[in-house]
Amino acid sequence: MSDEHQTERKAHLLYDKKTGEPTTDRPWIFRTYAGHSSARASNELYLSNLETGQTGLSIAFDLATQCGYSSDHPIALPEVGKVGVPINSLDDFHVLFDKIPLEKMNTSMTINGTSMWLLALYVALARERGIDESSLRGTTQNDLVKEYLARGTYIFPPDAHFRIIAEMYEYALERIPNWNASNICSYHLQEAGATPAQELSFALANAMEVLDLIKARGHFTDEQFEKVVGRISFFVNAGIRFVEEMCKMRAFTELWEEITRERYGVTNPRYRTFRYGVQVNSLGLTANQPENNAWRILIETLGVTLSRNARCRALQLPAWNEALSLPRPWDQQWSLRLQQIMAYETDLLEYPDLFDGSKVIESKVKELKEQAMAEIEKIRGMGGVRPAIESGYMKSSLVRSMSERVSRIASDELTVVGVNRWTDGLPSPLMGGEDGGIFKADDSAGNEALESLAATKAKRDPARVEKALAALTKAAQNKENMMEASIECALARVTTGEWADALRGVFGEYRPVTGIDGQKLLLENDRVEEIRARVERFIEANGHRPRIVVGKPGLDGHSNGAEVIAVSARHVGFDVVYSGIRLTVDEIIASAIEENADVIGISILSGSHLELTRQIMAALEASDAKGEIPVVLGGIIPDGDHAPLREMGIDDIFTPADYSLTDVMDRIMAVVEARAKA
Amino acid sequence: MKASSLEAMVQKALEGHKLSTARLISIFEDTRADAPLRRRAVLDELDKYQTRRAKFIGITGTPGAGKSSLIGELALRLVAQDPHARVAVLAIDPSSHVSGGALLGDRTRTNFPVGESRLYFRSQASDLELGGVSRTTFPVCRLLDRLFDYVFVETVGVGQSEIEIQQVADFVFLVLTPLGGDQVQFLKAGIMEVPDAIVLNKCDAVEEARRSYHALRGSLSLSRPGEEDRVRIYKTSVTEQIGLDNVSSFILSLERDPLGRSMRRKELYFFGKWARDEFGRAGLRYLSSLGGAEALLEGQHFEHAQAAFREKVQEGIGSWLAEKS
Repeated sequence: MSDEHQTERKAHLLYDKKTGEPTTDRPWIFRTYAGHSSARASNELYLSNLETGQTGLSIAFDLATQCGYSSDHPIALPEVGKVGVPINSLDDFHVLFDKIPLEKMNTSMTINGTSMWLLALYVALARERGIDESSLRGTTQNDLVKEYLARGTYIFPPDAHFRIIAEMYEYALERIPNWNASNICSYHLQEAGATPAQELSFALANAMEVLDLIKARGHFTDEQFEKVVGRISFFVNAGIRFVEEMCKMRAFTELWEEITRERYGVTNPRYRTFRYGVQVNSLGLTANQPENNAWRILIETLGVTLSRNARCRALQLPAWNEALSLPRPWDQQWSLRLQQIMAYETDLLEYPDLFDGSKVIESKVKELKEQAMAEIEKIRGMGGVRPAIESGYMKSSLVRSMSERVSRIASDELTVVGVNRWTDGLPSPLMGGEDGGIFKADDSAGNEALESLAATKAKRDPARVEKALAALTKAAQNKENMMEASIECALARVTTGEWADALRGVFGEYRPVTGIDGQKLLLENDRVEEIRARVERFIEANGHRPRIVVGKPGLDGHSNGAEVIAVSARHVGFDVVYSGIRLTVDEIIASAIEENADVIGISILSGSHLELTRQIMAALEASDAKGEIPVVLGGIIPDGDHAPLREMGIDDIFTPADYSLTDVMDRIMAVVEARAKA
Repeated sequence: MKASSLEAMVQKALEGHKLSTARLISIFEDTRADAPLRRRAVLDELDKYQTRRAKFIGITGTPGAGKSSLIGELALRLVAQDPHARVAVLAIDPSSHVSGGALLGDRTRTNFPVGESRLYFRSQASDLELGGVSRTTFPVCRLLDRLFDYVFVETVGVGQSEIEIQQVADFVFLVLTPLGGDQVQFLKAGIMEVPDAIVLNKCDAVEEARRSYHALRGSLSLSRPGEEDRVRIYKTSVTEQIGLDNVSSFILSLERDPLGRSMRRKELYFFGKWARDEFGRAGLRYLSSLGGAEALLEGQHFEHAQAAFREKVQEGIGSWLAEKS
């Protein structure tokens, strides 16, 4: 471009690098997190979303698929098709991607513990369709740190999962160069209560752990390694404090540039770019006055779109009613429209960065960077992310942040509109309609998956299956790359459960620390004292401290609720038994009986509360304890289900609308007292 | 509690019924003043039967030494090797000093198969006790004595609190991991006085395990001269399944009360402790003015002695205090 042109340049315009002409930015990728019930239904949903202008696929898998169980496993049964699509074998993938041109798709899979398996299925699908696998584009989420800390779909110990991640990078770089083998997620950390500094530091330390491991394995030349660094992408959260969140994004961008340059010596600036996608915050979405969430989602979107230098590459928005149920198609469409208005109606994409030169922003970014670097140093001082997970340090930090957050809401220090201020409102017409404004899971959803699983098993070649699994086991034992063996398993119609079981046999299963040890609430007020006095009176009258077993049955790993209840119960003076996630109903009930619990508190967010309650009551019955030990439930439980649950024998039900921990403890105490009197 | 239901409950507990066992244990954890007599009623009922008699195995050691998973492995071996054995675990965890509530141990680490009626796990809160065992530990052991063959009593070891586990257990294992430098300091703090045997757990790395073994032998010869050969050191690894059979076989081979810690001796100790918990230092002095726990336990059951002493205190302590002061 000529000098003449440069003198004419206006600071508020964007200029095309090549032509020098004023231009506008292309919008980010609009994503909708979707997939449910069955491969067939999900396929229909994708096809219709692609028609409405969505530009990428984002696939949600059900918990069984995520945790490495086939649909017919007992622990999987209540979850099949609940929070996403069940995938048992390559046959299901053929249905899921029917009429969708893989080579033109950017496919993002929210998959972690079984990421290698799902990528193997995707590659196998391309091979069977005769598509060149190097044309595949997309991402496997494959971030285990946030699984250990917040989401719970890990299977193996940290070393094994990190090895799988490294092997996928090694395979992808050579064979599917446009595939992001993993995606560093801090999204879920914020959902679990992480502060901005924690989100920054945990995510960056995680990325460094992955890169250090890949480097140490020595598979790549320096030049290839640069490319690997360039493929690291992030999935970030954006909360309601949108100015700080925007600063966090700028801090991320700057820190990543510094780390890749200084620590990894990356010379090509392209490979130092902080590439990130966003889902805005669900944690702050409320069940009370849920229509307000539409504004929250809009404001949170600002944090990740306003600043051009730190704008997201892809964005998916939750739906306004997410605290009540899974979104319906219309709810998703409403959120998608928000993005379209922001990108195409407003003038946002016409300007360079709006905040360059702002002293306020600069200072805030600097502060966040310093806090984050200090925390990164601490984690690396412990030997890195894996030791900091195994020792429970990172988990405890998050549980503490979460406890502080709920304490601040409970003490009204943190304002949440419609929850602790301006709580009186007119009834929402959005909650009307036949379905009451929420999504109702189809209880028969799992049947199709079970039928297709049985059909696959019936027609496959057992000898090929056996051989493929043996090869996988051998690769795992001999520390060889397991990708090719997994692809052969996929082609042989091995099932998800079989693939994971083979590796469980080699790596073992992992049970992390719960992180609630030594935690306390920062909540000391008259009401807490009142409940403690009630606990003391109970002890005097009954000769023992009230004892609660807190349980998180099944595969759902969102343990915040259970953790907060466990910490709160101890805070008011209960003895608490809590053993973490992924237990069977039978295990939880056995603890409650042997410990002679005064009450059982069960947390369920996956929508399986009816099935799980049936199991709970059956387990109590089998031990002669039905009606002897009261059971309370907590989770996203639609109003319509309360009556049938109480009918089945549930004593009280807590939903996100019951945000006050003291109220919750009051009611649990009432259940305990009623039992003692009976 | 109705008498008829007590009989039924005892009978069911003897058959291994878990809810009944759980409820009986709660009677022995009851802190109300009249609870000892209800406990006696249970014991009397039990004593109508030819019941089991338990060996009490104390397991103590630093947090993170892998005590729970070790106990899990040992218990599974005991029930496998002795087809009639019933095994209980009594795990004691610290209580909060602010609210009094406790977070009770991760029972899943023992990996007990659900539905195995011969294995039983119960948690206890230390209830602000510093002794590592709770004030209800001994009463509960009196019950478990009659319902199980092996009882593991697990405490988190922090310095002095291990001492008391010797009073409740017949045989105490100290569980350690291969030692780091800071732990040498810990060993000096008197912990070597406690164990009857040591388990060096998490011996996944051979060389480290070997060095730790010799370091421990050295510490023992310094802290317990003349006795050091009596203290066995077992090397185990739960992940690698090493050495576990040796420990379980040793436990199987133990006689009841191998070191002469008779129930009588335990009663004497815990009666004094109870008197002090309930009535403070003055109560303890009063007890000794009556001839001590020996005199009270002479010819009567522990629980009756508790009731009798409480009565005496209630009527006598006022005037006795008046005389003395």
